[in-house]
Amino acid sequence: MSKKFQLSRRTLLRGAGALMALPVLEAMLPATARAQTATGPAPRRLAVFYTANGIHMPKWTPRATGANWELTPTLQSLAPVKNDVLVISGLANYPGRPDGDGHHAAATAAFLSCTKAFKTEGTNFRAGISMDQVIANHLAAKKATRFPSLELGNDAGKGIGNCDSGYACPYANNIAWAGPTTPVAKETRPKAVFDRLFAGFDTGASQAQVEKRRAFGKSIIDFVRDDATALKAQLGTTDRRKLDEYFTGVRDLEKQVEAIEAEGPSCNPGISPDNNEDPRAKTKAMMDLIVLAFQCDLTRVVTFMLANARSNKVYGFLGLSGAHHTYSHHQKVQANYDALATIDRWEVEQYSYLLQRMKGIQEADGKTLLDNSMVYFSSEIADGDSHEHWNLPILLAGSGGGALTPGRHLRYNAAPLANLYISLMQAMGVQGLTSFGDNGTGPLPDLKL
Amino acid sequence: MLAGAGSALLLAGCDGDKLPQAQVRPGEDVPGLDVPPPDGNPPQNACGDAPKDPGRVTLHRLNRAEYDATVRDLLGDTTQPARDFPADDHGYGFDNNADVLSMSPLLMEKYSTAAEKLVEAAWKKGTLRTCTLDAANPEPCARDILSGFARRAWRRPVTKQEVDRLMDFLALAKRHGDTPEAGVKLALRSVLVSPHFLFRVEKDPDPKSPTPHRLNDFELASRLSYFLWSSMPDEQLLAAAEAGKLRDSKELEAQVRRMLADPKARGLVENFGGQWLYTRAMDSAEPDKTLYGAFNEDLRSAMRQETQLVFREFITGDYKLRDLVDAPFTYVNDALARHYGLPPPGSGTPVRVDLSRHPERQGLFGHGSLLTVTSNPDRTSPVQRGVWVLEQLLCLPPPPPPPDVENLPPPMRPDMTMKERMAIHRSNPACQGCHRMMDPLGLALENYDPIGRWRMREVSGAPVDAKGDLPDGTILDGVGDMRRFVKSDPKLPACLTEHLLTYALGRGMSEADACAVREIAATAEASGGRFTDYILSIVLSDHFTQRRGETEAQQP
Repeated sequence: MSKKFQLSRRTLLRGAGALMALPVLEAMLPATARAQTATGPAPRRLAVFYTANGIHMPKWTPRATGANWELTPTLQSLAPVKNDVLVISGLANYPGRPDGDGHHAAATAAFLSCTKAFKTEGTNFRAGISMDQVIANHLAAKKATRFPSLELGNDAGKGIGNCDSGYACPYANNIAWAGPTTPVAKETRPKAVFDRLFAGFDTGASQAQVEKRRAFGKSIIDFVRDDATALKAQLGTTDRRKLDEYFTGVRDLEKQVEAIEAEGPSCNPGISPDNNEDPRAKTKAMMDLIVLAFQCDLTRVVTFMLANARSNKVYGFLGLSGAHHTYSHHQKVQANYDALATIDRWEVEQYSYLLQRMKGIQEADGKTLLDNSMVYFSSEIADGDSHEHWNLPILLAGSGGGALTPGRHLRYNAAPLANLYISLMQAMGVQGLTSFGDNGTGPLPDLKL
Repeated sequence: MLAGAGSALLLAGCDGDKLPQAQVRPGEDVPGLDVPPPDGNPPQNACGDAPKDPGRVTLHRLNRAEYDATVRDLLGDTTQPARDFPADDHGYGFDNNADVLSMSPLLMEKYSTAAEKLVEAAWKKGTLRTCTLDAANPEPCARDILSGFARRAWRRPVTKQEVDRLMDFLALAKRHGDTPEAGVKLALRSVLVSPHFLFRVEKDPDPKSPTPHRLNDFELASRLSYFLWSSMPDEQLLAAAEAGKLRDSKELEAQVRRMLADPKARGLVENFGGQWLYTRAMDSAEPDKTLYGAFNEDLRSAMRQETQLVFREFITGDYKLRDLVDAPFTYVNDALARHYGLPPPGSGTPVRVDLSRHPERQGLFGHGSLLTVTSNPDRTSPVQRGVWVLEQLLCLPPPPPPPDVENLPPPMRPDMTMKERMAIHRSNPACQGCHRMMDPLGLALENYDPIGRWRMREVSGAPVDAKGDLPDGTILDGVGDMRRFVKSDPKLPACLTEHLLTYALGRGMSEADACAVREIAATAEASGGRFTDYILSIVLSDHFTQRRGETEAQQP
C-alpha cells in the first residue's frame, strides 16, 4: 500500500517559530528542504548511528591526524564525504564497563548516557538519561518539531533467553533513555515509521472538521489522564513510577493531537517504503526516513541502531556464514579479522549513504542538510574480543551549522566520551551544561577550529 | 534464575583461576548427583511452615502477545495490531516481566491509533452494538454498550461513576453536531487507551505495607487468564469471580482444567513454551547455507510446530512433565520425518508419530528446533547446548566466560572431532572449571548436526564422539545417557517450577522465593508430576493468590 501524504505548512513552519505562509518561490524548489523560513537560521539536527560488537580497529584508524588523514580500508566508502567527516580517536566511555561480564549490554546502556547500568535481569533496572533525550527535551520545550525525537532500529528483541550475562534486555536493545528507568522504545518497521511521520494530516478537511478531530482526541486524553491520576493515588512507589511512563506518553500524545492540521501541500514524502526484512533494503529505508524526517523538519533528533547489542546476525549477503558476535571474539585469527572488517566496511557504507543523501539536499540558507547536521557513528566498544571501552571508533559528520570543523582526524588521550556529548548538546542549543553522565566534565576541545 | 544462590554455588565450582580441581570435589556440585541441595533448594527443614512472602509484582503492562490475544477475545479482532508495536524487552527469560515492560510515547501513540482502528472495525462488524441507538433517546442503549464493554475490557465490574464519565462523550459529540454513535465510539476508544485496559491493575489496601494479602477475585481471574491464555478472562471466569467462587480451591481447580483444555491455552504454548524451550528463536535461525543447505522454510516451520504440538500435548495429556525429556512420540510432516530419518507419515502437515522404535528421536533433545537454535550457523555448539540444559532444566546458569579468553580453537588436523577441539579449549585453566560442567551435557548430543539431523560423522569425516565425561568420572555416552541423567536429576522439578512461576507472576525469582518454589514443586510431584499438577500447584499457592505492597526502604 502506498499513499501520498501532504504536510501542513504550519507544521513545517513551526520549526522556525513562524506562522507565516511559505515563500512561494521556495515552495517550488523540489529538492530543497523547507525546514526554515527564508529569514530564520536553519535548524541544527543530530543523528546517531549505532553499530554492535565493536570495530576491528587496525583497519579503521587512520595513521595521520589532522586534515591529511588517509582513508583506511574500513573507511574507504567515505571518499565522497571525506571533508565532511571528523574521525575521532582516543575517547573512552568507562561507565560502560560492566560488573563482571556483560560488556555489550552495559556499554550499550552507557552508549549515549555515559552512565553505569545497574546489573540486573530486570528488577530495579536503572541507567541514565541519554544525550539525545536531553536535546529532545530541550527542543520539546520550545515546541520545535512534531516529534521531539525518533528512535529507529533494524532489529526487534531477540525473543528468547537472556540478553547479556546478567544484564536485562532493555540495556541491550535501547540507546535512547528518557530517564534512568525509561528506555525509549524504537521503531523497527520502515513502513510503520513512515505512517507515523506522515499520518494525521487530513488533506482537504475543513477548519471545523480539524477542530472537531482535535477536540475529540483531546477528550480521550483527558479521560485517560483522569483515570491514571485516580489510579496513581492508590499505588505504591514502583507502580507509580510505571504509571509516570504512561503520563509521559499521554503528554506526548496530547502534543500531537494539538498539532493536528489540515490543508496545504508543502513537503512531499513520496511513497512509503515496504517492510522488507533484508538488512540492506531495511537499512536503506531507514536512512531515507531519517533524511525525510529532517528534511520535513518533523524532528531534529534521530537515533538508529543498526543491530542490537551482542547481535549475532549472519551477514550472508557479504559472503559470510558465521554470526557477528561470534566473529567479534576473533581470537586473533586472521579469518575472523577479515570477516569483521567486511562487516565494518558494510556498516560504514550505510553511514556514508546517509551522509551523501544529506549532502545532496540543499536547505533554504544555501547550505546542505549535512552542513546543518551532526551525524555520529560509533559502536559500544572498540575491540570485540577484549571488550575495550576506550579508543572507541567514532565518526562525526557535518558541521552542525558551524559548531564543528570536519575533515580532520582528532586524537585524544582517553578523554571521556561524555565530554564529546556535552559539546554536541551545546551545539544543539542546550545551555549551562557543566557535567553529563558519570564522568562528563565539560566540552571536548578542538572540535572547531 | 535464583540470582546469587544457585549461581554462587556454580561460581565456586567453576572459578578457573583458583584451582578448580581442588574446588570441584567429585559428587559435590555436579548436576544430577545425589548431593546436598544447592542454595536455591534449601534443605527441607529450612522452610518450615512460616508464612511465605509472595513478593511484589510490578504494575503489569500487557505485552504484545497479551494485547493481541486480548483484543481478539474482546472484539473478535484477529488482525494482531501489536505487530506494529515496538518489541517488548524481556527479563529473567520472559517478555512478560513487569519490571522491564516499559511504556513509551511511541507505544502510547500506537495504542491510540490501534484503539481507533479496532473500534471502527468492530463497530462495522456490529460486535459491539448489543442494542440499537435510538436517535431520540440514545442514553439507555449507550449506557448498556459502554458498561458491558468496560467491564470486559477492564476485567472487573465498573462503577456507575465510571460509566457516567464514559457517557459524557455523547454530550461532547452532540456539541460538535455529531451523532450519539460517534460519542459511543469515542468512549470505546477511551476504554482501550485507559490504564485500566493497558495494565493489569492489582491494588494493595496499603501500598506501603509489606504484609501479604489475598488478591481480589478479579485480580486473581486476570492472573489466571493471562497465565494460561495470555488473554483476558472469559465470561465464565468473570462470572465465577463475580460470584466470589474463586476463593474456593475446588472451583479454582475446575477453572484451571477448563482453561487448559480450551484452545486459548495455545498462549501458554507459544509464550511460555516458546521462550522456555527457545522455540521462538527458530524465527531467526540462520544455518550456514553452504554446509547445511538442507534447511529450508518448510523445515523451519515444521520444527517449530513439532515442539509446540508436543508441548501442547503435555499440557492436557497424562504425562509427567519430566517425560518431556524422553517422550516416545512427536509430531512431524513428511519433510521433517525425512530430515530425521523417520518413515514419512504421508502428510504435509505435522501428525503424531510413535517413536518407540526410534529412540534417537525421543524427547526434547531430539527436536530439530532446540538443536538448531543452540548451534552456531556452521557447527554444533556443545557449549550452547549444555548451557541450555543447565539454565532451562537444572537452573544452574554457568557464569559467563572470563574476559579475553580464547574461543574454540580451529582444528589442528582436518579430522579432529569437536570433542578433541573442546578438550584443548578446556585445558586452559581459566575455562576448565565451567566447561567441565557444560561440555559433557552438550557433547552427548554430538550425534545431532546443527540442523538436528542424526549423524555418525562430523562434516570433516571424523566419526562423532558423543561421550561426555562428567567431573565425577561418569561418562554420558550419547543422547540416551544424557536423557536418563537429566530426567533423574532431583533439581528438575524445582527448576521447572522456577521458570513456570517466573512466567506466571511476571517477575524474577530471588532467594526469598526458594522455599515457595520447592514447596510448589513438591506438591506438584506428589500430585502426579503432570504439567497440570504444576500449574495447579502454582495457582493454588500463596505466591499466586496473594500480593503485598512495598516499604520505602525496599526501594533501590
